[in-house]
Amino acid sequence: MDLKKNIKKVLIVYLLLFIALFSYIGYFEVFKAKDAVQSSFNSRLWVKRAEVLRGTIYDRNMSPISISKKINDTKQVREYKGGEYTAQVLGYVDEKYGITELEKKYDNVLSNEQLDVKETITSLVEGKNKKGHNIVTTLDMDLQKKCYDLIGDNKGAAVCINPKTGEVLALVSKPSFDPNSLKEDWASLLKNQDSPLLNRAINGLYPPGSTFKTVTLVSALTNIDGVENQTFKDNGKLKFNEKEWIENYGGAAFGSIKLNKAFYKSSNVVFGGLGLTLKDQLYTTAESLYFNKTITSSDMDIKKSQFPKAKSSEPGNLAQSAIGQGTVLATPMQMAIIASAVANDGVIMQPYLVSKILKSDNSSYENIESKELAQVMTKETAEKVKKYMREVVLYGTGRNANIKGLEICGKTGTADFKKNGVDMPPHSWFIGFAPYNNPDIAVAVIIEEGGRNSEKAFSIASKIIKSYEK
Amino acid sequence: MGENRKIGLLLLIFLFGAVGFSNLFLLQGNKELTPIIIYGVIVLLMSYSYFIIKRFFVDGDTFIFMIACLLTIIGIIFLYRLDILNLYLHNQDILAKAKVPRVITNYALKQLIFFAVGITAYLIIIIVLRNFENLRKYKYVYLVFTVIFMCISTFFGSEILGAKNWVFILGYSFQPSEFGKIFLVLYLASALDKYKSWKNLIEPAAVVTISLLFMVLQRDLGSALIFFGISVTMLYIATSKFKYVFTCLILFFLGSFASYKIFYHIRKRIMIWKQPWVYASNESYQLVQSLIALGEGGLFGKGLGFGHPEFVPVNASDFIFPTICEDLGMLMGFAILILFFILFYRCMRAALTAKDNFSRLVAVGYSSMIAAQTLVIVGGVTNAIPLTGITLPLISSGGSSLIITYFALGVIQKISEEGKE
Repeated sequence: MDLKKNIKKVLIVYLLLFIALFSYIGYFEVFKAKDAVQSSFNSRLWVKRAEVLRGTIYDRNMSPISISKKINDTKQVREYKGGEYTAQVLGYVDEKYGITELEKKYDNVLSNEQLDVKETITSLVEGKNKKGHNIVTTLDMDLQKKCYDLIGDNKGAAVCINPKTGEVLALVSKPSFDPNSLKEDWASLLKNQDSPLLNRAINGLYPPGSTFKTVTLVSALTNIDGVENQTFKDNGKLKFNEKEWIENYGGAAFGSIKLNKAFYKSSNVVFGGLGLTLKDQLYTTAESLYFNKTITSSDMDIKKSQFPKAKSSEPGNLAQSAIGQGTVLATPMQMAIIASAVANDGVIMQPYLVSKILKSDNSSYENIESKELAQVMTKETAEKVKKYMREVVLYGTGRNANIKGLEICGKTGTADFKKNGVDMPPHSWFIGFAPYNNPDIAVAVIIEEGGRNSEKAFSIASKIIKSYEK
Repeated sequence: MGENRKIGLLLLIFLFGAVGFSNLFLLQGNKELTPIIIYGVIVLLMSYSYFIIKRFFVDGDTFIFMIACLLTIIGIIFLYRLDILNLYLHNQDILAKAKVPRVITNYALKQLIFFAVGITAYLIIIIVLRNFENLRKYKYVYLVFTVIFMCISTFFGSEILGAKNWVFILGYSFQPSEFGKIFLVLYLASALDKYKSWKNLIEPAAVVTISLLFMVLQRDLGSALIFFGISVTMLYIATSKFKYVFTCLILFFLGSFASYKIFYHIRKRIMIWKQPWVYASNESYQLVQSLIALGEGGLFGKGLGFGHPEFVPVNASDFIFPTICEDLGMLMGFAILILFFILFYRCMRAALTAKDNFSRLVAVGYSSMIAAQTLVIVGGVTNAIPLTGITLPLISSGGSSLIITYFALGVIQKISEEGKE
């Protein structure tokens, strides 16, 4: 009978619908559940956090930066001793305003102590209060404060890393805010045009200007045979057509010069010309130096820096990119990483912020080893670039702010940019490292709208290095 | 299946209840006897009903009864767990001197009463009805009741949770559309069972369209979806014509599209469905909390009483599925879905053996009502489909829904029994 057949068909349709729902729930459980649970809308996490006394964050010399104190059984308050100095790098944790940066990355560790069987039993028997792990960061609080004070009232950022290990020694972004008074300041923080909540050091994208010539130099040394001995003609202007050209700072013309002089004099004409010669090879070098790529770090979400793919038929864009203008954008962290690669024989170490996880009584629990990210240039190339960067400080654009005895190597930059179509005072940049023979610190400093005087960033950077090397 | 194995199944269900309710007893620090009493009442109710069904109506399908009871027990256990929680939260608020302390609830006891009423309705139908086919002659009575129940809340309704589908009479509240469903199925069965040509379809088509329109006006999209599901299923069974189903689907999509363009509340549902996390602090707050609860539960759950249903809104009715999953895990969620499918299968079996077309269509209508409702709400709270607020049959707290479901199951039981004669 037809009706019976129909009933069976309907049964099958519903069976398929149930199976589809089953599969969807299974799919959700396997692929989506984790994100849902970790979302900031999950109030259970706050319940859990309130039960456990949150662990302390220390600097590399074991001085506490963020500490939690119990008020009563269900309430605790976090005191940010680092205050404005470490607001963006360490972040904050607050039921109302959320959880950010390192507090977020290490939330599970700070709010949860892994105990072995014996410890679990003792804590149950003794009814001890639950505590989270403490963590030791790679930050040097003295250096952090120095950077912060040196930037002063300017907007900008400073990144210091140990090129041999990738340890982040200081990470400063200004303007800053005080996480101890979020409640009072929140409304004005959100309205503030200068975005104090933004961590400029890893999330701010800036045109790198002449500091990018380091990348162009690496590309030229790698791809053009005998480029070091070549003589370049610099008559002050590189013309593409009737309307487009680039010129040197202050309209200078350096005449017949070698590559090293072009670098320490920061010749736009020569380096723009190299961009025209290198074409796609520069794009490849930039990408191998982590432009357009994520610098992986378990402790920070570093924004991707950008290098455009220009066509050979657009000489203007090729040349602009080669001198770090046009649509090239980089984070201060990215530029510090490039300096560190030169300092460390061409090897980039993965930048990291946490070196140790401790138990709540500060006994050791886990040590975090430094990791190699990539070999981005040969050792020979790195040696040559290092020499060139030393010359910048000795004879070139950086000579006036040099501090003798520190053997600083580096590259200055002034980066033009427009805001709403209007030319603004350029950003002042410096990337570098010291000492020349055995570098133990790599630095990137940017002062927003620091003006034509490229020594502004360099004088800050050299003072930072001095305070570290003392 | 032999009689002993059926008794065995019944005992297993009792065992399940015993574990659940003693768990609740322990959760309350062994002080409160209410869970034990509720359990006792359930065992008595079930044993007594089982005895009547077996003793006097040998031919009927007892599985329908047993599975329905099992699902109700799951519901009552969980509702009692919510009562414990709400009492605790209330006391916390009193201690904290909150201005508006959270309210104490009595979901479980109310549900138990409705369960008793539902079971009674179930038994009365089996005992009183003599020949089910006789009921087909009241076609126009059903028609009138369908339309009345469908439109009543448009004019007298109160809005709860964005849908205007509740009516308050003398202090009692009920959902007319729940009763509308019952009459719609009876009406469609009596209108379609002697189907000859498309001319027979004009009148039922008009009735269904009017019902759907009222549901959309009341913003009760869940019910609209279910009415559509029921009607199309019955239409196909009655006519065997796939082209009608196809036409209905096309009309449904056109109608949905038009409503999407006209009504903001429908656009909002779709928007939430596509990007629940974007609107997580406002429009899709409920849904996101539901997804978080599902994720928190994982495969095995946190254990009865160890989840946090207080973070999920409407945790006793529309969103009971994710909160159960948080406590008892995805495995329990799957078990519930499987139980619903088995229930659906047993009900459709009754349709298969029914002795006349009217009975068959009614059985199909009520079976697909329960199945569609399960699919729509579970699909909604897991964001498989756009969320529309309706109850999970037999499990969600709510008198109208529980009584209606038992009524429908009673009718199917009767049909299965007549089919065996």
